[in-house]
Amino acid sequence: MSSILFDNVRVYLSGAFFPAQKVLIEKGKIAAVGSKVLKNVETVIDGQGKYLIPGLIDAHTHLGLTDHGYGPSGSDLTEWSEPITPHLRPLDGIKMRSDSLSDARRSGISVCMVSPGNANLIAGQCSILKTYGNSADVGLIVEQAGIKICLGEEPKHLLDGRKAFPTTRMGMAALLRETFMKAQDYHEVKQSKKGLRDRIIQMEALGPLLDGVVPLRAHAQRLEDIMAAIRLADEFKLKLVIEHGIEAHKVAGLLAEKKIPVVLGPLLMAERSAETRDRIFECAVKLLDAGVEVALTCDYPGLPVETLRIAAAMAVQFGLDEKRALQCITETPAKILGIANRVGHIRKGYDADVGLFSGHPLDIRSKLEVLVIDGEIFKFN
Amino acid sequence: MRVILEKGTIFYQGKFQQLGRLVLDHGKITEVTLASVKAKKPKVGGKEKGDSEKVINCDGKYVMPGFIDAHTHITLEEEGIGWVDADLNEQYGLVTPQVRAFDALKMRDQALADARSGGVTTMMVAPGSANPIGGQACIIKAHGQIAEEASIRESCGMKLAFGENPKRIYAEQKQFPSTRMGTAAIIREWLMKAQDYSKKKKSKDFRDRDIKLEALLPLLEGKIQARAHAHTADDIITAYRIAQEFNLDLVIDHCTEGHLIAKELGRWKAKAVVGPTFSCRVKPELRHRTFDTVRVLLDEGCMVAITTDHPVIPIEGLSLAAALCVRHGLEEERAIKAITEYPAAILGLDKRLGKIETGFDGDVVVWSGHPLDSRSKAESVFIDGARVL
Repeated sequence: MSSILFDNVRVYLSGAFFPAQKVLIEKGKIAAVGSKVLKNVETVIDGQGKYLIPGLIDAHTHLGLTDHGYGPSGSDLTEWSEPITPHLRPLDGIKMRSDSLSDARRSGISVCMVSPGNANLIAGQCSILKTYGNSADVGLIVEQAGIKICLGEEPKHLLDGRKAFPTTRMGMAALLRETFMKAQDYHEVKQSKKGLRDRIIQMEALGPLLDGVVPLRAHAQRLEDIMAAIRLADEFKLKLVIEHGIEAHKVAGLLAEKKIPVVLGPLLMAERSAETRDRIFECAVKLLDAGVEVALTCDYPGLPVETLRIAAAMAVQFGLDEKRALQCITETPAKILGIANRVGHIRKGYDADVGLFSGHPLDIRSKLEVLVIDGEIFKFN
Repeated sequence: MRVILEKGTIFYQGKFQQLGRLVLDHGKITEVTLASVKAKKPKVGGKEKGDSEKVINCDGKYVMPGFIDAHTHITLEEEGIGWVDADLNEQYGLVTPQVRAFDALKMRDQALADARSGGVTTMMVAPGSANPIGGQACIIKAHGQIAEEASIRESCGMKLAFGENPKRIYAEQKQFPSTRMGTAAIIREWLMKAQDYSKKKKSKDFRDRDIKLEALLPLLEGKIQARAHAHTADDIITAYRIAQEFNLDLVIDHCTEGHLIAKELGRWKAKAVVGPTFSCRVKPELRHRTFDTVRVLLDEGCMVAITTDHPVIPIEGLSLAAALCVRHGLEEERAIKAITEYPAAILGLDKRLGKIETGFDGDVVVWSGHPLDSRSKAESVFIDGARVL
């Protein structure tokens, strides 16, 4: 892995762009940032005054789980058979050579959270990884980074087809509650003197969630479903992240008070469902002004992965300042994913994840020219 | 915010009287003075700095307690949306005491605005009647952005269903039960299990909770009511029989043939939520429906409330349902009580709702004319002292 020097770049540091800077990368990490970095390195990239920002982070994707154009053979997004599947792990379904990952890199995304699909009540585990590598393990950051649950319309589709309990929001809440109750009892027995020998893989998977080690990542679009997630998290004392949160602005104060972050989006949808008809592009700024941590997502394959920058730009169009808009696709998702100590900033000692853009990254006309992930260079000329 | 209603006719202490002034302050009714009482110079003391005050002249109008519907399914199936929001019945669950209507409330539903426009301020919301044991009912006010704001009780009763509905649903699925005997047996079986579970739970190393049986414990302990969907006389008696057996606090919902067994119900001091009478006889068990039921049961000493069973008939028709009982011989004071203080009593909320009285919740409606005249309009609606219409 070679050393890289970005020369003469306009670098994004603590919320502002600084011109005529150099950024030195060694051993996959940022080694130095400043105007006077002097070092002979193998690879010098002449930035010509262009924009260098941290690699983008999408805190909610299904990258690699679908391999488009290959039909059912390529689709490992949703386990259609049953509603409670906390034992599913994304790494076992990610196809690193799928177009979605090269598209992600081409869009400047270096880190993604990957979770199973939206149809199961408890969909499975969430993993955080880099968007490159010959296998998913190469860029793996956190394998068990949360339990994904789904509320509202999408799981209702799956459930309704089963012709079995549950089919309503009442039953969905009850089945989630029942599963967590069982998991509590299971882990109490496991930790007691008596112990237990007949392990249950679903219950095992819920242990870190109940212990507060990983958060509940709840797919919830509407106010009612957001509240259902909050109720559940309160009842079982779980850490909570709201995923999608299309109507989160309606309870911005409550989310701020409870310190519940929102991974917001996708908002740029053509056809709105009953659940998303109240979506507004001002949602991000309203949440941020109330003190809620917000990351923007394109929910690939909900929207093409290339739209992450557009989501941030749209937020600016509807009242958010550029600084916070960029934070929503860099440092805040890093924070929400619990990896802010190594990605989301261009800072000495951080992972060498940077993107060089021909112009301002929130100007859609700007083009990504170079992306570096862990010191690996990807050029797009 | 303090609101003062002056003059007009008030329904107070069970009858229509002339209002002097009524004060709503900090969510409660803090003063009621009749016109006949030579009021001392109205004391407006205790007013905090920054508190605003609004005086409304109700001359020629009627000041009423907010109406209460003690049996609805409001917002469980948001109106005008369809499948996505259909959360009324767990029709494959059979025994679902663990489900809560509270978890499916949708406060955005325009039906709540309809409720306010009909002067209805409080509603019991229950799961549907597909299952012999259907789930937990809640009580809400017709106001608030999230369910927690509207909530009076998250769980107030356990819905049980007798008669046609459960046996139709499960016969179609070729499952037990397909008879009334089967429905009763399954309810009895689960109550029996819950009794045993309650004993088993007392052992120290009990770590095997069952969410269904957990949900039935408050019912056995009398903390929540048994809300029995029963239309025919025989189904009502079956519900009563089971309630006796397990010592349950029983409310009969619908009670369509209650007048046929009025003597028995009177002797048992039954609580009944009657209706929707203003509907067609769409199934055999409604063939004896009549607007006489409420009067006959009240005469026998039962506690009776009138319901719309929204969305079976629209919630704003509650006063109309009461008016139709008057047309069939019920005195208007009792008809009004059957949509105010009687449902409050049935729901166990008679210390705070259902009447205009000092210390009660500030749920008050100003009507343009007599509230049982269908030409009258609810002009101002206050819930917890705040104007919501």
